Amino acid sequence: MTESPRPITIVIAAMGGEGGGVLTDWVVKAAEHAGFLVQSTSIPGVAQRTGATTYYVEIFPVPIADLDGREPVFALYPAAGDIDVMIASELLEAARAIQNGFVSPNRTALIASTHRVYTIGERSDMADGRLDEERLFDAAQELSKHAVLFDFRRVAEEAGSVLNAVLLGALAATPALPVIKRESFVAAIRGGGKAISSNLAGFEAGFHIEQSAKKQGLALQNRENPKEVGRVERLLQEVKDDPEPVREILGHGVRRLAGYQDLSYARLYLSRVSRVRAVDRTHDNSLIQEAARQLALRMSYEDVVRVAQLKTARKRMQKVRAEIKAAPGEPVRVTEFLKPGIEEVCSLLPGFVARPLLRWASNRGLTDKLHVGVALNTSTVMGFLAIWLLARLRPLRRLGHRFREEQLAIDAWLDQVCGGADRSPELAHQIISCARLIKGYGETHRRGRNNYERIKDSLISPALDGSMPIEESVNKIERAVTAALADPDGVALGDVLVSSGDDVASTVAHAAE
Amino acid sequence: MERSFKKEVAQLRLGKGEIFSGEGILAVTKALLQSGVSYIGGYQGSPVSHLLDVMVDSSELLDELGVHLETPTNEAAAAAMLAASINYPMRGAVTWKSVVGTNVASDALSNLSSAGVVGGAMIVIGEDYGEGASIIQERSHAFAMKSSMCLLDPRPNLTSIVDTVEKGFELSEASNMPVMLQLRIRACHLSGRFNARDNREPAVSRNKLLAEPDFNIDRFCLPPATYAQEKHKIEHRLPAAERFVTENKLNEVFEGELSDVGIITMGGLYNGVVRALERVGLADIYGASRIPIYVMNVTYPMVPKEIQDFCAGKTSVLVVEEGYPDYIEQAINVALRKGDLQTRVLGKGVLPKVGEYTADVVLEGVEKFLESEAPDKLAAFMPDSALSASISLKARAAELLGAPIPPRPPSFCTGCPERPVFSAMKIVEKELGPTHIAADVGCHTFSALPPFNLGNTMVGYGLGLASSAGVGPNFGKRVISIMGDGGFWHNGISSGVASANFNKNDSILVIMKNGYSSATGWQILPSSKRDRFGGQSGMSIENALKGLGVKWVRSVRTYNVSKMAKTLRRAMTETRKGLKVIIADGECQLARQRRLRPLLKKRLDAGQRVIRTKFGIDDDVCTGDHSCIRLSGCPSLTIKPNPDPLRTDPVAHVNNGCVGCGLCGEVAHAAVLCPSFYRAEIVQNPNLWDRLLDGWRQAVIRALQGLVRA
Repeated sequence: MTESPRPITIVIAAMGGEGGGVLTDWVVKAAEHAGFLVQSTSIPGVAQRTGATTYYVEIFPVPIADLDGREPVFALYPAAGDIDVMIASELLEAARAIQNGFVSPNRTALIASTHRVYTIGERSDMADGRLDEERLFDAAQELSKHAVLFDFRRVAEEAGSVLNAVLLGALAATPALPVIKRESFVAAIRGGGKAISSNLAGFEAGFHIEQSAKKQGLALQNRENPKEVGRVERLLQEVKDDPEPVREILGHGVRRLAGYQDLSYARLYLSRVSRVRAVDRTHDNSLIQEAARQLALRMSYEDVVRVAQLKTARKRMQKVRAEIKAAPGEPVRVTEFLKPGIEEVCSLLPGFVARPLLRWASNRGLTDKLHVGVALNTSTVMGFLAIWLLARLRPLRRLGHRFREEQLAIDAWLDQVCGGADRSPELAHQIISCARLIKGYGETHRRGRNNYERIKDSLISPALDGSMPIEESVNKIERAVTAALADPDGVALGDVLVSSGDDVASTVAHAAE
Repeated sequence: MERSFKKEVAQLRLGKGEIFSGEGILAVTKALLQSGVSYIGGYQGSPVSHLLDVMVDSSELLDELGVHLETPTNEAAAAAMLAASINYPMRGAVTWKSVVGTNVASDALSNLSSAGVVGGAMIVIGEDYGEGASIIQERSHAFAMKSSMCLLDPRPNLTSIVDTVEKGFELSEASNMPVMLQLRIRACHLSGRFNARDNREPAVSRNKLLAEPDFNIDRFCLPPATYAQEKHKIEHRLPAAERFVTENKLNEVFEGELSDVGIITMGGLYNGVVRALERVGLADIYGASRIPIYVMNVTYPMVPKEIQDFCAGKTSVLVVEEGYPDYIEQAINVALRKGDLQTRVLGKGVLPKVGEYTADVVLEGVEKFLESEAPDKLAAFMPDSALSASISLKARAAELLGAPIPPRPPSFCTGCPERPVFSAMKIVEKELGPTHIAADVGCHTFSALPPFNLGNTMVGYGLGLASSAGVGPNFGKRVISIMGDGGFWHNGISSGVASANFNKNDSILVIMKNGYSSATGWQILPSSKRDRFGGQSGMSIENALKGLGVKWVRSVRTYNVSKMAKTLRRAMTETRKGLKVIIADGECQLARQRRLRPLLKKRLDAGQRVIRTKFGIDDDVCTGDHSCIRLSGCPSLTIKPNPDPLRTDPVAHVNNGCVGCGLCGEVAHAAVLCPSFYRAEIVQNPNLWDRLLDGWRQAVIRALQGLVRA
């Protein structure tokens, strides 16, 4: 038995439809071009259908000519701790490779794109189910010998190419594969015969990527401020003594509400915030900050007027065109899918008309059924005019049933926040956080409001009247909010409230399921 | 079909002295031609679909050689083709995904095996086991044992695989037994090279026709011949097979200096064993091992004499046998007992009882075996345990990552026509309450995964409706069954529709008519628009249902969620009893895109007017509840950070993958979700009228916007 060189091992992790197979073929062809024996294998399985797939390549770094007819025994499986190059087309897939032991500090060059393709679990979460990307990123840095972490997808887009070509370029540039020269990779792309020039452009872009330790493109982009109005700025003078983070939120809130309704509504916002300011004894102003944020959102609740405002805003068409990548000069026709129902109509009617109507609909189980589905083409003059006129109903909103209901609910919520702050800042925080349950339209909104009511009745009120210890209620409200966002049917919330024996409604809810 | 095999077809023509370079399953295809087969058939399924696909693309070559290609509607039909080899000296091969395909084929296989063959008969099975498998986990081994077929499991390199195919036909003819060639997923997708040989013209073929039928009642499966056949298997065929295996050295022994221990492995696992030994310092990369290895390239029948010879003088051996039950390990123990050898046999125990034998699994088994049986040798050659290094690496990774990485389950593709059906089902479920859903095999099986979680049972291909026959009458609501068009033609037309109608079942069947056998790579079906000969088959699901006497049939375009929901609701609440069939009509979107993209590009390049449709979401209207995603799950409907400085929950977002199928708008409407969706139609290469109209509209809209102060 002789001491022999070992194969260079490469794992490629991709998702179905990303071209991992083509990338693997390029690597194989490049190795063959360079005069080496190579083997690849894969488990494409249900590859077309977005599942995670892996490809495994072994290259024997002794020129075929020097082998004297001997052949290495190639393995078909990647082994933990035995991988020279790990290529991942996405950050989570890199993390999966790390979890499988395919990235080791003494050996592996990790080439991974840092963009995210969210899993169905992350996407379908009722609030924010995204994974902690920093953690994945740090693990990638720490466990690899050499890391090339970059938003390769963006690089591909900028180069007018595809992700796999860019990754091939990055592979060609890595020192982990010294035996295969650049020209072999280029020959592999040319030999593929398809989209050669764009693939080569992607390859070039990937080849010249500087190794980057910086995470790309994760920072939130703040939206441009709407056109600033003098009176709004004057109003903001009133809060100039607040610390910067608070002032920033108040600025957003005031501008939002002035646009949503009018200046006096924005003024109402500030006076409501003052109530919390009066009771906030946290050293970092976290109460007022969070309350100001949630309050602005609650006060700008979604209704037809709001939707019409947003859909007719001046910058909207630019955003749409950018989003759908329409070239200059290409006309774009936009169709909106609106389905206003009895609740939406009643929200603008005065209470004495709206309440009986809503009661009637609710008694007959029609709340969900009385809808008019409209597919409205807002690129036409008439279509735009219709929705534009709807936005002009803004002054009427104040007279409507919904406005009144919302203001009462907001004041009640603020009362509880302030009451909670008297007892403990933690309790106030939890009460504030319950507001995140109320969002959306139609059924989503109803569901959120119901969940909020259940938590209020079962936990918040007992905490405020002293019948439940503060610590217990803080803990339970936190769990209840998480549970309310766990499933749309309220099962988890029911379980949490039942397990604490606090929910009278949940037994009924369970029975109804 | 999934892809074109033009290049591969050229390789099938290679002759002696040339090098074939390509995929494992295509090497098998070439080996079949080198073996002089008269006919080839099979049913598509991962990982062996490409064998048939490349054959379909090779009609010219097959015509030259006179080889007949059949693409039957199921594995039973494919297996029955092998009957040609019972009477005539014709070599033939069929292929399918196993174990499921073998299950379907087993009636024909039992009869075939009983009669025995005079022409070599080979079944190429893609053993869909372990990571990447899409079916229940069982071994195909038992079929070889119960029916007395040879089972080949060659070392996974192209040369060995090709040689084994060629030898396999000789083995079949020498023993009169059909042979099964078992290839695992990774072996099918293996790339490599081998020295080609000339293709052989078959002895009997479409170019050299048979003239006389062979009548021989001894080859006919009817008593008393069947008793004689059973005896013939034991007394003649199996011994003949064992003799052939030994004489031709189909199994291999690799000697090693540490001769008091040894490893017995299935051929397909050999490379993994050598790599594990190499990692612990007991083998080199060329396969020279210090520990002797007996490689069973034929796993049935086993040759007891070879086992006894290998084990003689050894204190213990390790058996590397994937899957359960451990038929080989048991047989080895019997052989050693009968040979009165005291060699200890370790196998399942140091190796796991079930699951795929991946690199890490085999390494652990080898290290444990050596630790237990030859600790001194292990220590001498392996200063550091590769196993413990790998374990601590994974532990460190788990610690850094903090939580297990969530799985990325397969799902419906972007724009899939089957997704809207389940969106509609979700909506109806909400109104009428959940009912039992009998799922079937196909892309639509993914309905059982998030976000739909629809589907209560799944018991086999084409069996969706049949599997509801027991539960349906005992369920408080009408039950729903699903079936694809592939499953319909595979057997669902008879075991499902005919049987349900015959028994007056009162249930609902949804047939997904997407036009192809999509899950296996877009093979043509009887009801496809075009058949593989370029014409039309003249068969349709609608006509078949009519012929079967089904009265309640509705065909609904799948993307029309409201109508689909309405039809489902109607079927659920309809007072008339009997089978209700909803044909969910929508072409497989991937196939459609492949068809349309080049055409669109051509039109665009020619400067012709093209309308591109895409969906979008107003990110300031979206509140981040993601109901739309829960009712769709489309890969292009994803999330992005909320651009609203006051909101934290991510908003829904339609990415560039959107093909404008329309589901988003339909769902937003049908489920009354939220008004943030819009459909954008981009007029590319606009004509003068388009530009004038757009200019006028923009002018008015800007004027209206100008009237309002921000």
